[in-house]
Amino acid sequence: MVDHLESCQMIAPPLLWSAAPTLSLRVKRLRDEYWSFYQREFTNEVRAYTTGASWYIGYSIWSLTNVPEVALCQPGFRSYLSAAATRVKLPDGFWREPLTIRQALFFREVVQRHLPARILDGELVVGSNFSTALSRCLNQDEASARDKQEQAFLKKWHALNDVGIGNCGAVPGHLVPDYPKVLRIGWKGIQAEAQCVVEDPASTIEQREQARAIVICADAVRILADRYEEESYRLADAEMNRERKAELREIAHNCAKSPWLPPDTFPEALQALWTTHMLLMAAESYPGPGVSPGRVDQYLYPYFQADLDAGRLTREQAKEWLECWWIKHNYAYDYQGWVGTNQGINASFGQLITLGGMNADGSDASNDLTYLMLDVIEEMNLLEPKPNIRVHARTSDRLLNRIVEMLSRAQGSPFLINFDENAIAGLRWEGLPENRLWDYAPVGCLENTLAGDDRSGTVDVNLNLAKAVELALNNGCDMATGKQIGPRTGDPREFQDFAQFSDAFKQQLKAILERIIDANDIADAGRARWEPVPYLSALVGGCLESGKDANAGGARYNFLTVEGVALATAADSIAAVKKLVYDTRQIEMGQLVDALKANFEGCENLRQTLLNKAPKYGNDDPYADEIAREISRFWSEQAFQYVSPTGKRYRGGYLSWNYWIAYAPTTAATPDGRRRGQYLSNAVCPVNGADRKGPTSVIKSVGNLDLRTAPNGASHTMSFSPAMMRDPEQRQKLVALLRAYAQVGGTALQVNVIDADTLREAQKHPDEYRNLLVRVTGYNAYFVGLGKEIQDEIIARESHRI
Amino acid sequence: MTTGLAFNLQQFSTEDGPGIRTTAFMKGCPLRCAWCHNPEGMSPHPDLMWYDVRCVGARECLRACAENALTLMPGGMQIDRARCTLCGKCADACPAAALEVIGKEWTPDALMEQLLKDKVFYETSGGGITFSGGEPMQQVDFLCEVLPRCQDAGLRVTLDTCGAVAWKRYARVLPFVDLVLLDLKIMDAARHQAATGVSNEIILDNARRIADAGKTMWIRTPVIPGYTDDRANIEAIARFIRDALPTVERWDLLAYTNLGKPKYHRLDMPYALEDAALFTHDEMEALGRVAAEIVPVARWSGATR
Repeated sequence: MVDHLESCQMIAPPLLWSAAPTLSLRVKRLRDEYWSFYQREFTNEVRAYTTGASWYIGYSIWSLTNVPEVALCQPGFRSYLSAAATRVKLPDGFWREPLTIRQALFFREVVQRHLPARILDGELVVGSNFSTALSRCLNQDEASARDKQEQAFLKKWHALNDVGIGNCGAVPGHLVPDYPKVLRIGWKGIQAEAQCVVEDPASTIEQREQARAIVICADAVRILADRYEEESYRLADAEMNRERKAELREIAHNCAKSPWLPPDTFPEALQALWTTHMLLMAAESYPGPGVSPGRVDQYLYPYFQADLDAGRLTREQAKEWLECWWIKHNYAYDYQGWVGTNQGINASFGQLITLGGMNADGSDASNDLTYLMLDVIEEMNLLEPKPNIRVHARTSDRLLNRIVEMLSRAQGSPFLINFDENAIAGLRWEGLPENRLWDYAPVGCLENTLAGDDRSGTVDVNLNLAKAVELALNNGCDMATGKQIGPRTGDPREFQDFAQFSDAFKQQLKAILERIIDANDIADAGRARWEPVPYLSALVGGCLESGKDANAGGARYNFLTVEGVALATAADSIAAVKKLVYDTRQIEMGQLVDALKANFEGCENLRQTLLNKAPKYGNDDPYADEIAREISRFWSEQAFQYVSPTGKRYRGGYLSWNYWIAYAPTTAATPDGRRRGQYLSNAVCPVNGADRKGPTSVIKSVGNLDLRTAPNGASHTMSFSPAMMRDPEQRQKLVALLRAYAQVGGTALQVNVIDADTLREAQKHPDEYRNLLVRVTGYNAYFVGLGKEIQDEIIARESHRI
Repeated sequence: MTTGLAFNLQQFSTEDGPGIRTTAFMKGCPLRCAWCHNPEGMSPHPDLMWYDVRCVGARECLRACAENALTLMPGGMQIDRARCTLCGKCADACPAAALEVIGKEWTPDALMEQLLKDKVFYETSGGGITFSGGEPMQQVDFLCEVLPRCQDAGLRVTLDTCGAVAWKRYARVLPFVDLVLLDLKIMDAARHQAATGVSNEIILDNARRIADAGKTMWIRTPVIPGYTDDRANIEAIARFIRDALPTVERWDLLAYTNLGKPKYHRLDMPYALEDAALFTHDEMEALGRVAAEIVPVARWSGATR
C-alpha cells in the first residue's frame, strides 16, 4: 500500500491528488482545475443576496445546530454575509405576496439577473455557480417573530448540547428529489401540472399559492438553461478550435432542450440532471447537504443504452460525459475553500448516488451503467457524489467481486454497502408502502428513504444514549455540574435489584428524548413557517396536491430522525452494572458511583475489573447483546410515538457522525470502564477494543440489535488489513463475509482497508498522503484533513483489529 | 460424557482450510518441534500464563493464591509451576485479566453451540470447522463424539494433524472429516527425530494411508531456518507428495513466524529460535519455485523481512 501511494506521488504533481492514469486528458484537466482552488479564477463561493431589508437573513442557525461547532459561528457568519450581500431588485407588489411566492420570485430574480453563468474550459456538462445565501424574504414583523422563535429554540438547544445530552436542528437537504420526473416530463411538464392547479377552480388558496410558486420556479430553470445556452453559443462563436466549437454547440443544444423538455440522449439527461440538482442546492441556501440523486444507474440507464445502441456514443465517450457530470458535484466544497480545501468533518455534502439493488421482482438491478459508474469512481477518486451500493441475496457474484476488488485497491472504501433486506425491513416497520420498498435509496451518508416523495429528515436529532446512564447513576443530575437535568429517579445506592436500576435508566432516557424532541419541534415548526422551499417542493411528490411546502409536511411521506449516539457505551455500561453489581456482587453500587464521579482517579483496579470482567457488546454474546437490543428497542419505539407540529413522525437511526467525539468530554466516566473524555462508541460499532472475537461476531452482534426499529439505517464500520485482500482466495472470503452480512448483519457497512502503520505515517507526513481516503461513520474524507482526534480514533480502530 | 480441552476457539479463521472457519485448537501434542508457534498447545494439561503488558500491579493474584505459587518480582511475575494447582483463583482475582489459565474444558454440547454460531459464514464461504492444536487426535474420543454431530449439523470438518498418531485413531475419525491438513516437516528420519522428538516413519505411513483412503489433503510445511529450509528437504517432501499422495490438492510452504516467541516467555519455556530472523521474500520465492517444479499445487505464504 505504501508503495502504491508513493508511486502515485511520484507520477503526480501535488495538485493532482492521484487520479487514475486512464483518465482522459479533458477530465484530468478538469480535475486538476477543481483542485487548484487557490489558483483558479472561477470559484463557486457563497454569493449572498438580499431584498435590501436590514433584517436580512441568509443561513439559518437552526439548520446548522446539528453541527454545534459550526452553528456557534453562525451569528458572525451571518453579519459577514449580510455585509457582502448583493441587493436584488424586487418585482412590483413583491411584499404583498405570500411568503412562498416571495421566495420563488426572489429566486427567479437571482437566477435571471445575478447568478453567473460560467462555462469552464473543456467541460461538457455545464452549470457552475450554485452556492448561495438567499434572503428568506421576510418582512420586518416576520423576521422579528422568526428570530424570537429561533432564540427560544437556541435556549433549549444550549441546555441540551452544553451538558452532552445531544443536539437537534431543522437539517436541510437529506432527501432524494424526484429527478426521474424531470427526465420524464421536463420542467415544462412540471410547470404545466402546477398551472393546472392554479387554474383549477376547485383548488384551495394554499394549493394555488403553492402551485404559483412552482410555476415561477420552473421559469427560473428555463431562464438559467437559456442563459447557459447563450453563453455556449457566445463561446462557440469565439472558439478557434473546431472540435471545441462543435462541443460548445452541442452543449448549447443540450441546455436549450433540457431540463425544460425531457431529454432523449445520455448527455441531455446528464445536463438536465445537473441543472436541476445545482439549482436545488442554490435554492436551499447552504448548499443542500445530503441532496441525493438516488438510483442514477437505474434511471439514467435507458438513455445510456439507447445512445450506445444507436451508435451515438461509445462506452468511452459515455464515460467521459459521466465524469464531466461527476466532477461538478465537488464544487459544493468551494464555499469553504479559504478555510481549507482539506474537506474535513464539516464538509460532508453527501450527494449520495445509489448503485445496484433490486428490481420490483427482487431480481438484480445492476446493469452495464452500474459497472461503468464503478469504473468512474475508481478513476476519479473524488469525494462527491458519494456512492452507496445496494446488495441483496440475488446480487450477482460479478458485482460483489467487483466491489471487493475495489475495496482491495482503494486506501479506504470508496463506497458504502447497503444491505437491502435489512434496510427494507426497517422501512416496512415504519409503515411505508410495501410495493415501493424495493426502490428505496439512501441519502446523505446511509439514511434510508423512499425516492421522490419522501421528505424525511435525517440527523435532525442526535441523542447521547450514554448520558442516560450517567443520570440514572446520579438521580438525574449531571455529574460535572451537579445540575438537575433529568427526573429524580432515586439514589442508585438504594436500588434493590437490577430491574430498579434498569427502570431508572429508561426513565432518564425517555426524559432526555422528550426534551430533545420538544426542542426540535420548535425548529421544525419554525422552518415550516418561515422557510418555504418552493423549488424543492416542485420535486417532491405530494406537495402540489397537498398545497403544502416540502418543509411544512407537504410530501407524501414525512419523518424526522433521532440518531442514537453511543449505543455500545450505554449497553456495556448497563451490562457491567448488571453483571458486577447485581449478578456477582463483586462491586458495590456506592463504590461504583464514587469511582465514576472521581473519574476513576485512584480506582484503577475497579476500572480494570469493569473493563475485563463484564460482558461487552460486539462479541455475539447474548448477555451484552440483549441489553444493547433492549436499549435500542426502548428508545426507538419511544421516539416513534412522537409527531412534530408539521406532521412528521420521529423515527430512529444510528449515524453518530462526530458526536461520539463531541460529547465525550460532557459525558461522565461510564461503568464500562471509560473515563470522561474517552470517546463514546460510534453508531452501532462496539466500543473500541471491546470486540475481541473478530468480524463474524461483530457482524452478528450488530444483527442481534434487530435494527428494524431504527429504520433510518445504522452505520457500521469494519477495518481490514490489506493482507485480507492480498489474493483472490482471500477476496473470495470477503465476498462471502458480505453475503453473510446480508443475512445476519445490519443495514449498512463501510469497509476500510488500511493498516495502522500507514495511517500513522500519514499523520506524521500529511503532505505525502493527501489522497488517502477513509470512510468515517458513513462518509468519506481525506484522512489528512481530519482533526487529530478523529485521526487517532481511526488509528485506534485499526490497531484493535484482529 | 467425554470432554475436550481446547486452548483457543478462533472464529473468522481464514488460514486453516477453505472459506471462513472456526478453528478449535486442542491441547496436547506428541511432537516437540523447536519452532512451534503454539507452545501452549504442547501440554495435555492447562497452563497458567501471565501477560506482562496487561498487569497493572494490583497484586490481587498474590492474595488469591492459596499455594503461594506467585511472586511478583521487579522483572515480572514468577510462577512456581511445581506448586501451582491451576485452580484459576488468581486469574479470577486479577482485575486486568493479566493471568489466564490456558486450556478450557468443553463438553460436546457447549462446543457445538460455539461452533454453530458462525454457521451462516461457513455456508456463504464454503468454510466450516477445523480441529487443530496441539494435536487434536490426542483427544480422539472427544473428536469421535463431536465430529458426527458436526456432520449432522451440516458443518464441514477439516482435521489439521501432525500425523504422529496411531492409524487406528485416524480410522475412527476420518469418515467424519472432509479435508485433512497434514504437516510434512522433514523427510530425513534422523533429522526429524532430532527436531521434533519423534520419528517421521509413522507420519509418512499415515500420510500414505490417508491418501489411500481417498481423503483430500492439503500438505503444510513450516519453513524454519536451519531445520526445514534446505533445498534438499523441500525437494524430498515434494517427491514424496508427487509419488505417494495422489489426493493432495495443495501444498503450503509456511514461512517461519516469530509471533510465538512471547508465548515461550510466558510459559517459562526455552525457545530455540530466540534470535532467528524472518526469511526474505526472495528466499521464500526461491523455495516456492523448487517446490512447485515438482508439485505444481505448491505455494508459499507468510510474513517476510
